[in-house]
Amino acid sequence: MSTAALSLTLRQRRAFGLLVASEIKIAIRRPIGLVVAIGIPLALLVVFGSIPATTRPDKQLGGISFFNLYVPTLMVFVLIAVGLAGLPQQLATYRQQGVLRRMSTTPVPPSWLLAAQTTVALILAVIGIGILLGAGAGAYGLALPHDAGGYVVILVALVLTAAATIGLGLLVAAVAKTPQIAQGLTVLVFYPLAFFSGLYVPLQEIHSHLISEIAKVLPTGVGFTALHDAFGGHSPGVEPLLVLAAWAVGSCLLAARMFRWE
Amino acid sequence: MSIQELIQTDTGVSASVSSDPAAAPVITVSHLHKEYGTTVAVDDVSFTVRAGEIFGILGRNGAGKTTTVECVTGLRVADRGEISVLGLDPRRDRHELHERVGVQLQESAVPDLMRVAEAVELYASFYREPADGRELVATLGLEDAQHTYFKHLSGGQKQRLSIVLALIGRPEIAVLDELTTGLDPEARRDTWRLIEGVRARGVTIVLVTHFMEEAERLCDRVALIDHGRVAALDRPSALAIAATTGKRVRFTPTGPLPDGLLSALPEVSAVERHGPEVVVAGSGDLVTAVVLALHGAGIRADDMQTETANLEDAFLAITDETPHNPNGATR
Repeated sequence: MSTAALSLTLRQRRAFGLLVASEIKIAIRRPIGLVVAIGIPLALLVVFGSIPATTRPDKQLGGISFFNLYVPTLMVFVLIAVGLAGLPQQLATYRQQGVLRRMSTTPVPPSWLLAAQTTVALILAVIGIGILLGAGAGAYGLALPHDAGGYVVILVALVLTAAATIGLGLLVAAVAKTPQIAQGLTVLVFYPLAFFSGLYVPLQEIHSHLISEIAKVLPTGVGFTALHDAFGGHSPGVEPLLVLAAWAVGSCLLAARMFRWE
Repeated sequence: MSIQELIQTDTGVSASVSSDPAAAPVITVSHLHKEYGTTVAVDDVSFTVRAGEIFGILGRNGAGKTTTVECVTGLRVADRGEISVLGLDPRRDRHELHERVGVQLQESAVPDLMRVAEAVELYASFYREPADGRELVATLGLEDAQHTYFKHLSGGQKQRLSIVLALIGRPEIAVLDELTTGLDPEARRDTWRLIEGVRARGVTIVLVTHFMEEAERLCDRVALIDHGRVAALDRPSALAIAATTGKRVRFTPTGPLPDGLLSALPEVSAVERHGPEVVVAGSGDLVTAVVLALHGAGIRADDMQTETANLEDAFLAITDETPHNPNGATR
């Protein structure tokens, strides 16, 4: 997509811009995606940032506060939400209603609609995570990395985790024949991924060998750990980033192979 | 073909703006064949569409009409056969084809929560030299619905938006698939007038339909598709004449009809009874022959009606005579 994007004519860029703009309008008109991706994480941030007990350093959590531990979880949750809470159902609905078929008769192929949807998901992710970081550091004393290296690791981990969750969302959209199936598959994928981001219980508090082994393989577990390390000033090493990259590439390739336009 | 299947219509074949037989072909399809798994959707279809005409593709549901136009518009790859549209190969030159051919397909839509004006602006941006969207919207009577979400449009409005989107790229050819299905009779007639208006702008139209009346009213030429083959291809009026050997007379006799009274007449080819009603098929001066024979037997004919052939008769006659494809066709 990126090499293709460079060779786009002015007219094609305008068409893509309008496509993205119309998808944003539709996202605002049916705001469930915005609520899940931006509203819920922000609400959780405010709740846990306001409780004294969760903002005090906790020995059981390795001397940091629950709040500081929870912000990377919420960042990963934003990425799960943009990739899986709206994208697959929307694309499955577009396929069922014939929106993709309609576009396939124009000079602009329906793959552009996928690209536009992905762009909207990324925009939502930037907004959601930006709000978490801004409000967390500004209002609730979130501990930020001390050096530029930490920010680079955060950025790389976020980009790779986003690629993995959006890739999984596209994969669900590819295999689901109807919006209902997409919904069902999403639930199956969404909750386990959210669990391993530490949304319900911090992974550090679960002393299970099995759970920690699974967390080392699933993209949200790996993404969370990499972010947590970066916030704490540690290097996550290369291995977790490779795992994330493998998820991203694998899910996107599989989705591209399996996607049906009608 | 049973006489009962024939339906009388009060109109003959409408005289349409004639298409010039010498006009250059803009679509040429030869020996198109397409299968889905073991099902033959299109067996062997050939036809030529001339510039400026309204060309009808008529057939029952499942005859292979939609698959044919999907191959012609580059949405499906034919298994065999040659297709040329405006000199382009629908698969290889797909992009250029879609710039110059507007397509309206069944089961296609814009998103529920997109407004009419937004859809028109978006689709206009897809084309090299788009038409004036506002003017098209006005022409199709959608001005009042410009700010309405797609999901709140009536069936007729959705169809009209679909025509706007098919024409927004200033196409040379517009392919319209089952445009009036699901519309009430009045909306259907409005749509027919629109299509004639579009042709008047110089756009060649390929109209896919299973409505005889629609094909008869609008099309310069019609290809009857049956079981994946072209069963007949001609002007609607020519098809109607070719399909029938003669006429039918239907009446209610005032007394019992002696056996053989009418069937013995040289003009009569068949006699059928439907309750009190008698239907006589034949040729020549059928009405006079029947009335005279009845008069001679002391019987009067009440409610006498004569029927002339129309495209529907032609369709039934032609498709019944076509050998059925053993595999059957589902599309």
